[in-house]
Amino acid sequence: MKAEDAKGMDINMGIIQNKKAYAVFLLPALIFYIFAVFYPIEESIRLSFMKWNGIGAPKFVGLENYAAMFKDKVFYTALINNLVYLVIVVVIQLSVGLLFAILLTYMKKRVTLVKTLYYIPCIVTTVAIAQLFRSIYSTEPLGLLNQFLAGVGLEHAATSWLANVKTVLAAVSVPEGWRFIGMYMVIFYAALVSLDPSVYEAAKIDGASELQILFKIKIPLIKEILLLTLTMCLTGALRGFDIPFLLTAGGPGNASEMMSTYMYKKAFSSNQYGYGSALAVFIIIESIIVVYLLRKAFTTREDREIKQMEKVQRKQRRSGK
Amino acid sequence: MKRRILSLVLAGVMLTSLLVGCGSNKEESKDGDVTKVTWFTSRPVDGAIDQTMRQIADEYSKEKGGKWEIEIETTADRPSYLQKLKTLIAGGNMPDIIDIDADPYCQELVDAGMLVDVKQFLEENDRYDKFYPIALKYQEFTDGSMYTLPLEYHVEMTWYNKEIFEKYNLSAPKTMDEWLEVCKVLKENGVTPISVDGIDRWPVQRYLAMMPFREAGNDYIIELRDGKESMGSETGMKAVNFLKDMGQYFNDGFAATDYATAQNMFLEGKSAMYYIGDWEIAAMQDLYDQGKIDYFYLPTAEGAKTGANEFCVNSGIGMAFNAETFDEKTKDFALYIIDNYAKLFAEKQQMSPIKTELPEDVEFSDLYLRIREDMEGTGEHFLKPWDTYLDADTNTIMQDNMLLLASGDMSADEFVKLVDDSIAANKK
Repeated sequence: MKAEDAKGMDINMGIIQNKKAYAVFLLPALIFYIFAVFYPIEESIRLSFMKWNGIGAPKFVGLENYAAMFKDKVFYTALINNLVYLVIVVVIQLSVGLLFAILLTYMKKRVTLVKTLYYIPCIVTTVAIAQLFRSIYSTEPLGLLNQFLAGVGLEHAATSWLANVKTVLAAVSVPEGWRFIGMYMVIFYAALVSLDPSVYEAAKIDGASELQILFKIKIPLIKEILLLTLTMCLTGALRGFDIPFLLTAGGPGNASEMMSTYMYKKAFSSNQYGYGSALAVFIIIESIIVVYLLRKAFTTREDREIKQMEKVQRKQRRSGK
Repeated sequence: MKRRILSLVLAGVMLTSLLVGCGSNKEESKDGDVTKVTWFTSRPVDGAIDQTMRQIADEYSKEKGGKWEIEIETTADRPSYLQKLKTLIAGGNMPDIIDIDADPYCQELVDAGMLVDVKQFLEENDRYDKFYPIALKYQEFTDGSMYTLPLEYHVEMTWYNKEIFEKYNLSAPKTMDEWLEVCKVLKENGVTPISVDGIDRWPVQRYLAMMPFREAGNDYIIELRDGKESMGSETGMKAVNFLKDMGQYFNDGFAATDYATAQNMFLEGKSAMYYIGDWEIAAMQDLYDQGKIDYFYLPTAEGAKTGANEFCVNSGIGMAFNAETFDEKTKDFALYIIDNYAKLFAEKQQMSPIKTELPEDVEFSDLYLRIREDMEGTGEHFLKPWDTYLDADTNTIMQDNMLLLASGDMSADEFVKLVDDSIAANKK
């Protein structure tokens, strides 16, 4: 038995060390990735320099689409709306998700049940969620939200949330935030329970309060996870499309227009594939910038010093050789 | 082993996705002689047209001894349908038969030589006179050419709740001013005058088109499209102001109200009026039989160019044929449709664009017969929806912003500027 095990291990090691095997295993996924992600991005960039209505050959127009974009009023409306949407979505997803995760760590029984229940909205299809919220917001028949307002004596606050230009943007943002609370809760919960209890138990013995432990010990310790979730959340919100599109298609007017709904409309409703592509490229660049800024913000001076030290050490080692 | 399987699966997935992307149109199958024709369509699944066409295709296939097959791919939701269609065409995969309005996008397909001249086809095969003239005229471009074949025929009217009207001593309005007055009285009494489906946009756009149609027929919208008229001209402002006035009588939150909700509001007596075409007679039938509802056509206006028997008559989205794959076999099938469609379609209590005697073994409702008679008596002008005239970009901008105009969230001047600018920017 032992000899066989050793042999098996040898083979495994052999495969891991064999670079060809790496390539073979990675290739399909890599090709798929290139085909599904890089190729469309490349095509978008190429099309963004063209004028094309979908019939016949595209015409090269240089930077015309980008020039038009920066002069387009709706573009700025969409950009600002998108930022508001982003703030609402991120605040709901991360703060409520984190809060629930923290509360969950104090639960002793039925944790899995709660986790599962809270996770359900993530797996429900978007169309169903849009339909759900359309009913909640509706005035005819009276939806849940307006019924609630009437119930607590706030009839005057009742409105057609999706038709009112003042409320529509928030109304399309909330469902997106709500639906992923469960997912972030699970991620945060996993991070929190995997912390070494001895660290905060020591703090407890030293007289730290629960809040101090939370803010001074637990949250700083899951910083990496926060960065990851924030990245997911921000890029997700920047690309946010389905729920706003399903609920209002950017309307009324452009009151709930997102970058992505506007891009979709320009490309597929207005047949301006070139202009739509320019908007798509803008969304990509926007996302990259946000992720870059985020990483910068999260790299503290300490981290930078550690990296600096490592660099120096590596240099020394190399010169020592 | 597991990983190898995984990589195989992944490779398989890739291959399939590649193949799906390259699916071609008309395929001579391996047996060599079965012809397959694809119809990419936007008719409601299991609706009268869908049923009739499937019936016809089945019979035709039987006649050909199974050597002929049709593949019907349906996307009833119009915006998604158009998006899929445009994507297929942009990718060079236009199906054999498609559904399309005679709009500027269709004109571009025609200019690219991608569609069959249906007018010529009908004339060559002596089928042109089998259709009601207006049903065909509706499918024409402004220059009189025609590339789409109608499968339906409709009139649009405003349905009203007789009980509510009687309660407030109102009668069906004869003029546009009376219509506004009726709405005003209803609103003052706390009744929602009109329920409107704002989500689909087109019902609101009709209200914008009403005054110009009375003033100038379809000339105004044609000139607006061609950049010869402004949205802010005298006629244009009448359109804008009429929608603004009417908008205050729409149900609260109409911009977020969908088709079914708007219709249910009317059927449940929560709104006094509702604008829809005869394709909804099945829904109206019961209340009509009970004498609770009735309808009126577009009211007239003083000094109008178009008369009381002229309003929105249409023959719906048309059927168009891919010029590249329109061979003898497809031609034969097209003729077979024209020769067999009318009777089968009328049997389902539908108005057929192709003339036919009503089948005697089917009992038609009073409502059906009354509307059929109305249709026989329509004048030569008919209101053609604006979305079939305007370029796609201007249409999107107009449809998005007219909701704000109607709800009072946008000024008339702003709206006029948006539309005029867009027409100027999109003019070639």
